[in-house]
Amino acid sequence: MKALFLGNVAADTQVGIRDELPPGLDTVILPDPQDLFRSPELAADADILVSNHWGAEYPPAPRVRLVQSVATGVELFDLAALPRGAAVCNAFGHETAIAEYIIMTWLALHHRLFEIAGDFREHGSWRTSWVESGAPHGEVRGSTLGIVGYGRVGREVARRAAPFGCRILAANRSAREPEPGVERVFPLGELDRMLPECDTVALCTALGPETTGLIDSRRLALMKPSAFLINIARGQVIDEDAVYAALRDGTIGGAALDVWWQYPTPAEPQRRGSRHPFHELPNVIVTPHNSGWTSGMVRRRWDEIADNINRFARGEPLINIVTTT
Amino acid sequence: MPGLDPGIHARRNVPSDGVDGRVKPGHDGWKGVNDMKTLFLGGLAARVAPRILGKMTEKLDPTLLAELTDMQRLIPALAEAEIVVGHIWRSDFPEAPRLRLLQAATAGVDMLDLPSLPRGITLCNVFGHEPAIAEYVLMTMLALTHRLVDTVTAFRGGSWAAHQPAGGSAHGEALGKTIGILGYGRIGREVAKRAVGFGCTVIAANRSPIADKGDASEIYPLAELDRMLPQCDVLLIAAGLAPETQGLIDASRLSLMKPTALLINIGRAAIVDEEALYEALRGNKLGGAALDVWWRHWSPEHPDRRPSRFPFHELPNVLMTPHCSGFTDGTADRRWGNLAANLDRFVRGEPLNNVVMTT
Repeated sequence: MKALFLGNVAADTQVGIRDELPPGLDTVILPDPQDLFRSPELAADADILVSNHWGAEYPPAPRVRLVQSVATGVELFDLAALPRGAAVCNAFGHETAIAEYIIMTWLALHHRLFEIAGDFREHGSWRTSWVESGAPHGEVRGSTLGIVGYGRVGREVARRAAPFGCRILAANRSAREPEPGVERVFPLGELDRMLPECDTVALCTALGPETTGLIDSRRLALMKPSAFLINIARGQVIDEDAVYAALRDGTIGGAALDVWWQYPTPAEPQRRGSRHPFHELPNVIVTPHNSGWTSGMVRRRWDEIADNINRFARGEPLINIVTTT
Repeated sequence: MPGLDPGIHARRNVPSDGVDGRVKPGHDGWKGVNDMKTLFLGGLAARVAPRILGKMTEKLDPTLLAELTDMQRLIPALAEAEIVVGHIWRSDFPEAPRLRLLQAATAGVDMLDLPSLPRGITLCNVFGHEPAIAEYVLMTMLALTHRLVDTVTAFRGGSWAAHQPAGGSAHGEALGKTIGILGYGRIGREVAKRAVGFGCTVIAANRSPIADKGDASEIYPLAELDRMLPQCDVLLIAAGLAPETQGLIDASRLSLMKPTALLINIGRAAIVDEEALYEALRGNKLGGAALDVWWRHWSPEHPDRRPSRFPFHELPNVLMTPHCSGFTDGTADRRWGNLAANLDRFVRGEPLNNVVMTT
């Protein structure tokens, strides 16, 4: 049995799970996918493909039965270019890290961490101190958190948020039972009823036809003027122009944005995440799509991938099947 | 004042059952037609007096005195006050012969000179900041672990360096971390309750024995602190300042900690040796710190005074805030509400809450 680890991330993964792979598994590691064109026979006899992509232009891989993505998304695999009947599996492990990011930024926005810590560090300003009579900041206790997309990440967020003594609402495309601590799961069609209730809206949904442009100017206007918006899903879930205007004009209170409408390219490595200068707004926490990028996530994801390869080698049922080609 | 946990300090003078004392305030001779003379003493108490009075059901005869050195007003005010609300009591204060209740406006009573308090009074403190400070602790622990400030600062400047495809290195997470809490009182319990939801293990060290561990898995006596420190990924200082805690975290104890460990101080600065902490952080003997309490404070003469004689503000691995961790709108509501309720109890002759000691 042979496994082909294709691309940088897959090559790193192989190093991480080397000791967990089935004995006797023949592994081929190609950090640079271009090498496949020089050695097409490496694709020809692979049973397992571990990668984050596959292209129609690649040499045929007729024996592949397990396509193991090293990421959660499989949109970079050209599935039509893979043989029929292969199981396509993805990997998770980022839920913990992203849930922590959401709680962290939820707290930082309420407590005005960047403003207060920035002033104190830069200018020695005691303006926001307690005895010195500054204005108090906020707290999450007693506030309402609305989670859009009650899936793996959304549930992890709710579990961590509940002990803070807040009210938790959720909205999901398909019907889901709320876990303890969550007051109600709205159908996505009733999102407009949930939004006005929320002090914070956390977007944890997948990108799809129902969620593209979901948070538009009309829905932003349904939110409280003090409300915070946190996005770890995909940039396109929010209308870019509308949210910039809402944050600039104070239609909503602030935001934490980890995902963007545009990304750097080799030609433009410093490309900004948006055509609007979100980075100049004081009420926005901006991060470069790294909320889930923790050492723990990497380890958990590697473990899932190793587990699946072992299951495949032993002929056992696979985990994390997205589809079958 | 936010940041003071009673776990080690205030409990010292509370009755041995550990619950609030039941002290009947003696106000024989007081006539219902005369509202109780109450002095709101010091800038803080004078400023919040209207909010406290607005939350009371009983009536008082209030005097507001912000300036503690104004002897012309302080002498007559203390001469007739039956209640004083404030957070400072100095040894050179004039006589207060009618005083029965000193209601601290803070949880910490370390700015009250206890030996010089008049005899026969009851000292109470006030809480309500615990949820806010617990939120601050979780926030700063996450922010330091996830390297939030560095990442945001670089990205604001246009750098995608922390992005995985750009070759960014992975950051840490709270899952699986061990949090050691020095001073396991009200704040420590609130922190523990939240931290276990993140998959953290909570251990604690406390001066007095703890019957109910709450969400902590192990409680060490203070004398065994050195056994706890090497286990901590995060050391939270939530103790009050007392002879047992002053300078407790010194260079030798800091050297017992993991080089990756984080130190969060919301208790009192003087529990930590200032120079030793600075040197440990500068030399990467510690992973980072979040500091809300300081060795030097604001004063009218030095409004932008740096909070330490060492330049903590030049260290990249330090999150620093100006003693405001507990200062939320929610804390203000809870605290002034609790304080007003205690004054109501005193006026009605009911048992008081949060009795620290009787003199």
